[in-house]
Amino acid sequence: MGSDLGIDGADMKLLSETDRPDKRKLVWAGFSALAVLFFATLPFYYDVHNGQFGVFFFNVFVYVIVAQGWNLVSGYTGQISLGQNAFFGIGAYTMALLWFNDVTKTGYYFDPVLMILAGVAPFILAVLVGVPLLSRLRGDYFAFGTLGMGMIVTVLFINGGMFTGGAEGRMLVPKMPEGAVFNLRTHYWVALLVAVLATLVVYALTTSRIGLALRAIKEDEVSAASHGVNVLKYKVMAFAVGAAMAGVAGSIYGYYLLQVTPSNVLTSNWLFLPILMVVLGGTGTILGPWLGAFLIYLISWYGDSYFAGYHPIISGVVIILVMLFLPSGLMGLGQKLPGLGRRGRGSG
Amino acid sequence: MGSLAQILVNGILLGSMYGIAAIGLSLIFGTMRIIFLAQGTMIVLFAYLTYWSFEKAGIDPYLSLFTVIPLAFVVGLGLFYLLFRKAAALEDKNVSLLLAVGLMYLVDNLILKIWGATPRGINLSYSGAVLVIGEIRISWLRFALLGLALASALVVYLFLKKTRVGTAVRAASEDMEATTLQGINSVWVCAISFAIGIALAGVAGVGMATVYSFDYQFGFIFAIKALVALALGGIGNVFGALAGGLLLGIIENLAAYYIGIAWIEVASYGVFMLVLIFLPQGLFGRRGLVKKV
Repeated sequence: MGSDLGIDGADMKLLSETDRPDKRKLVWAGFSALAVLFFATLPFYYDVHNGQFGVFFFNVFVYVIVAQGWNLVSGYTGQISLGQNAFFGIGAYTMALLWFNDVTKTGYYFDPVLMILAGVAPFILAVLVGVPLLSRLRGDYFAFGTLGMGMIVTVLFINGGMFTGGAEGRMLVPKMPEGAVFNLRTHYWVALLVAVLATLVVYALTTSRIGLALRAIKEDEVSAASHGVNVLKYKVMAFAVGAAMAGVAGSIYGYYLLQVTPSNVLTSNWLFLPILMVVLGGTGTILGPWLGAFLIYLISWYGDSYFAGYHPIISGVVIILVMLFLPSGLMGLGQKLPGLGRRGRGSG
Repeated sequence: MGSLAQILVNGILLGSMYGIAAIGLSLIFGTMRIIFLAQGTMIVLFAYLTYWSFEKAGIDPYLSLFTVIPLAFVVGLGLFYLLFRKAAALEDKNVSLLLAVGLMYLVDNLILKIWGATPRGINLSYSGAVLVIGEIRISWLRFALLGLALASALVVYLFLKKTRVGTAVRAASEDMEATTLQGINSVWVCAISFAIGIALAGVAGVGMATVYSFDYQFGFIFAIKALVALALGGIGNVFGALAGGLLLGIIENLAAYYIGIAWIEVASYGVFMLVLIFLPQGLFGRRGLVKKV
């Protein structure tokens, strides 16, 4: 896996003239491959099912998937989506309801058919919502609109009655197929695989011609349109692909919970934490979401065990501190190290 | 017919709360382009402070307006200079959005730690007083909310129209860059509008404490309702924001009566989406303000 360090136009030119980006890329790709290899083989010498790192990394991977989706639409394309929790929840519910009502007659437990459908459903919704929102609105109004969409989806699932199971959601434990064993090893590997795939998809999209269009849109929409970029098409595409990623993540998380309720898959945590992870890691960078997800989940993990009950307060403080002192993210820090002193540190 | 009139009146009275909050959001959004999602949380915080001063010291909520408003103004200035000053100047709006979210997490959970999860409300000696006009019954306290909202709108309007700082705020919400070029201190303008926005949260908090019961989770929903009101009314117009709030209150009460209480939210967010898609300048806003930011 290579890395594209979220360089915007000006820096890119500078880099290709002075440095040798090929070498940098190679180092990052090697590092990423080693990391993936390490995580993929971890279950062979560490008991992921009983050891606490299994759950830890599983959660991190799920967050990475959602975060990469948001990174694509907001980090690379510059359209701030505040509806990722709705897509996550729809993915989880697509999986749970198809399984619960025995619709597809497939394996259900970690069934690729269900997981793909869990990505397709949010994709369709994102296109349906995205076309009117993105063709009429720019900037903040897209954020408002997606926020409203998320609220509507949440309320619809709470009020779904017999169809969604209301506030209690759907319990999937009794539906487990015979012979299927609940082992976190499966969850761990599937989540890792999808997280790596999501990263590769974002990487492939953003380093191709499409990525060029997305970045052009982020920099200046009018200019992009006047250069022949179909702005609406690319924006909707980024939004929908991001939504599909959140949906697949939702289905994986649903397999972990085995009870899908509005309060655990539609909560605003699935909206704000991935955003925080991307911003902490570095918006519009390919590895930033990984870095951010590890750090943020680490903080909330230890916050939970050492300061039980105070953990949301700590999250709030962490968000504020990160935004005050690291607004361009950790990946940006490595790039701008020489220029760091110039910025000054006045906190007043 | 009596019941429909009652629904409309109740809607207007509920909406006056949204209106006050929306005026505050409008000031903050207008100058700094920040979606200040913590507005609802600040309202709940000031509602708790009002509740607390009533319970501990027996101070009448309406008297505490005189302490809460200046306090909220100072809190607003403090928050601006501590948190939002640098973020407001950044191109990347994620930063200020997340700052507001962080503030929301922090204050929500501080409230939970200090006052617990049970919903609170103030029971005043005159809580039961009712004004009867024909078949319509209005609680005096709710009626006072409308008064508060109108008074706040008028004060903010006069401030924007009649004072030099107010003129600068209006200029800044039209075009921040040009305003700075005219030699206006943009930081100070942002600070003032932010502080007034929080002061309005103080007013809304007192109003909320007198009529509604509230808990620590109420803030996020309330902030989004204020956003809906703002989108309905249109950004850049004080009375538009107030009218948007009143309209939202009416829509919610109508939805509760004709569709069912569980569907209130669907109705208000549905209207929100429709307005955003088909009428992005809002009902009373100016077209020019909806531009690429």
